[in-house]
Amino acid sequence: MLNVENLTIGYLSDRGKKNILADRVNFSIGQNQLTAIIGPNGAGKSTLLSTLAGQLSPLDGSISLLGHSFKNLTPSQRAKLLAIVLTKKEYSDHLSVREFVELGRFPYTNWLGKINAADQQIITRAIKATQLDSLMDQKCGTLSDGQRQRVSIARALAQDTAFILLDEPTTHLDLAHKAQTVMLLKNLSKQHNKGVIFSTHDISMALKMTDNIICVTPGHVITGTPDQLTDSGAIAELFDSKVVQFDPSSRQFSILD
Amino acid sequence: MDRDSIQILELRDPQNGSTLHRIALVSKNTKEFHTEGFDQIIEVPIETIVATSTTHIPALEMLGKTDALVGFPNLDYISSLATRGRINDGLVQELGQNESLNIELLIQRRPDLLMTFAIDQTQNGLDKVSDAGIPIIYNGDWTEQHPLGKAEWIKVFGALFNQKHKADSIFRQIESEYVKLKDVAAGAKTQPKVISGALYKDVWYAPKGNSWAAKFIEDANGDYIWKSTQGTGSLQWNIEQILSLAQTAQFWIGPGQFTSYNQMTQSSPVYAEFPPFKRKEIYTFSKTKGPKGGLLYYELAAMRPDWVLSDLISILHPELMEQGHQNNFFKPLDP
Amino acid sequence: MNAKTYLKSKLLWPLILLPLAFLVNLSLGSVYIPFGSILSGLFTDHPLEESWLFILNDYRLPKATTAILVGGGLSVSGLLMQTLFRNPLAGPFVLGISSGASLGVAFLVLGSGLITGLSASVLTGPWAMVLASAGGSFLVLLAVVGAANKIKDPMTLLIIGLMFGSLTGAVVSVLSYFSRAEALQRFIFWSFGGLGHLSWTGILILLFCCLLGLILAIRGIKVMNAMLLGPGYAASLGVSVKQSTLLIVLSTSVLAGSITAFAGPIAFVGLAVPHLVRQIIRTPDHRIMVPASFLWGSIIMLLCDAVSQIPFSALTLPINAVTSILGAPVVIWILIKKKNLMF
Repeated sequence: MLNVENLTIGYLSDRGKKNILADRVNFSIGQNQLTAIIGPNGAGKSTLLSTLAGQLSPLDGSISLLGHSFKNLTPSQRAKLLAIVLTKKEYSDHLSVREFVELGRFPYTNWLGKINAADQQIITRAIKATQLDSLMDQKCGTLSDGQRQRVSIARALAQDTAFILLDEPTTHLDLAHKAQTVMLLKNLSKQHNKGVIFSTHDISMALKMTDNIICVTPGHVITGTPDQLTDSGAIAELFDSKVVQFDPSSRQFSILD
Repeated sequence: MDRDSIQILELRDPQNGSTLHRIALVSKNTKEFHTEGFDQIIEVPIETIVATSTTHIPALEMLGKTDALVGFPNLDYISSLATRGRINDGLVQELGQNESLNIELLIQRRPDLLMTFAIDQTQNGLDKVSDAGIPIIYNGDWTEQHPLGKAEWIKVFGALFNQKHKADSIFRQIESEYVKLKDVAAGAKTQPKVISGALYKDVWYAPKGNSWAAKFIEDANGDYIWKSTQGTGSLQWNIEQILSLAQTAQFWIGPGQFTSYNQMTQSSPVYAEFPPFKRKEIYTFSKTKGPKGGLLYYELAAMRPDWVLSDLISILHPELMEQGHQNNFFKPLDP
Repeated sequence: MNAKTYLKSKLLWPLILLPLAFLVNLSLGSVYIPFGSILSGLFTDHPLEESWLFILNDYRLPKATTAILVGGGLSVSGLLMQTLFRNPLAGPFVLGISSGASLGVAFLVLGSGLITGLSASVLTGPWAMVLASAGGSFLVLLAVVGAANKIKDPMTLLIIGLMFGSLTGAVVSVLSYFSRAEALQRFIFWSFGGLGHLSWTGILILLFCCLLGLILAIRGIKVMNAMLLGPGYAASLGVSVKQSTLLIVLSTSVLAGSITAFAGPIAFVGLAVPHLVRQIIRTPDHRIMVPASFLWGSIIMLLCDAVSQIPFSALTLPINAVTSILGAPVVIWILIKKKNLMF
């Protein structure tokens, strides 16, 4: 379980002043669930994700993974419980797919990073799950966006963690790839027993495919199942009703003329 | 000092007289002897020598040992015609390698002696030379500040070539000539004021009061403007200070590397403000060059202080020198 | 491909070429010594002409050994810097190590002339130079690392290193301005670098330092591979930016600092060799890059040194001139062919 208790997220300005984006956030996410973080830009989606990933410190409150409080985990220990998938491309283009995915085993390998038989098994499973078999020896720089996406996910899978966090994995993809990616994520959560949490702008797809929604709006964070949030009208209130309108039955937004 | 067939050569620091190197000069076929207490043991007479400073060349020639020189770094510096002839015949090997000696070629050449201007073995590569079994003598003539002190080093060459008596007599001759000239100069009626040096990148460099160059001016009965500065190196002063002090100067001896008045004004218009410039009484040794551009002064002046002194006296007190005297080193500047 | 066979194929070539380059370097010099005599002098007890034996054992052998350590050590430290700063133009001296060394030697050679009025060789024995160089490097490094401790981002460290480099360069300029020609010339010749004047004691000390630096570098292989993923992923894998930076900086300092102290500042090798090696190795994996960089660096240095001796003539080029002639085109090529850098 990923437990968030009384969390206050935000950041410290240069002068140490606290800039709070949301406080008294509470939710729990199970290990075989697919969760989407949605909300308007600037409300704190990325900040929440960064805080859950351990990149930002919470301003208050606590996060715990599988019973271990974040505060008590070293980065290496946390690396065995939580993996991330980023959209920003900072990695070397000349790593092969194989090398990239193998680096997911970093927290477990010896001082030289040697991949043993057990590591290899986990890697192979990750490759299969993301259908990268034919691309193993290709350099990452030569891959398409969609393929790179899958490679990043494969690496996170190879890290063999209870939870995987993805930062806007569907944002730059075309519709078909968006759907494929979310299907893959659902598959990972159900068949590989991972708690998958991703932030997205695709609210309709999130509502259709996920088990949980975390809705980050200015000032507060609401969590619940898609049904709960639709029925409570939280989704409808997300955007300016003068511009877009939400239809609860089709779970779609439409633009007002 | 003779002890059986061994001579002991002691090289001392000119500044304080402390012994720097103790060398045993051993003639061939000497029986066993105590090697303790010697920095170097050399078999004499030596036949071949590698020198590293042009100041070593005149001593060789005066002892009739021109043929002993087998190698030298940067051959172009050498002015002496006799040696240049040997260089052209390929008898003297080029041993220069950037600022130091080409160790490989030196070791292959294997002279009986390497004479270097280094202070001790810590200079680049010299430890390898001595490991190879080549004796090294550290010639400190350049640290001497008295004109006769530099010339006296010919005695070292004398000892090495078993020409001790010849070396001694040559030196005594130069010494007496020098003293004679000094006495002549002392009788002059005037003591003209003399400046020296030039600007180098906005700083004026000139010899300090206790230096070798200043001593010559003193012995030539000239009044060196900066004679009261302490030390043996170069003073580095600001141009304004220099200019104000130099207003009373009559002669300018040694204006750096300049060879013509035109060159000087091109370099800096301030030079034209100096009285010796206006009076056209500037004398330089930079015009006197060897076939490949080496300055004769650097090579020969150390060994022939009497010639330097006679040059200076003929400049400062022309009435004291005989008619038709030609200067050896110092010539008037070209227009 | 199996890791072991991959390794073998990529490292086999340099392992074979290195002893060959070693022999080539030993057989070329100002004095012509036939190759057969070289081999006989090395491997047999056959009597050799005395001066040849001496040249071989006491001059060329130490020089070649130094070349191996210098070329290999600088290449590895260049690789480390390129990885740490994710910058293809980084080299072993971006932290200001050679600037610090210059400063130390400048104070010794140029500054002492100013103070005593004598530009004498008194203070410039080889150990004095070594200590001045190492001392200068150490001081600059201390300042840079001290600043680094307060900073999370390696990029800031890079900039601080460059700033210190500029600062020391300025001080050296001032010292040079006020120096006499002879002192200046001595300083300039130090800056040309030289491999030939180390005693066996010096080589032993250099060997010890290089081993230390290499051990640290090898220790850092795993985190350096993680750094290839970028800082975000590396941190998520448990890599401590501070610790890894410190490890890499330490390794580089020991390698580049000791090399510069003994051989003077040698340019371009540390920057160019890792790029050349990447073209051959075609993977950024440090498990292969580190040994390959060392081996190829040594080979290239041996060949550069052989060239700089201008075989069979008395003429020599300063080693820096040769490495620059090799390295500058490589740097230009880097700037043009960004895509093919394999970085």
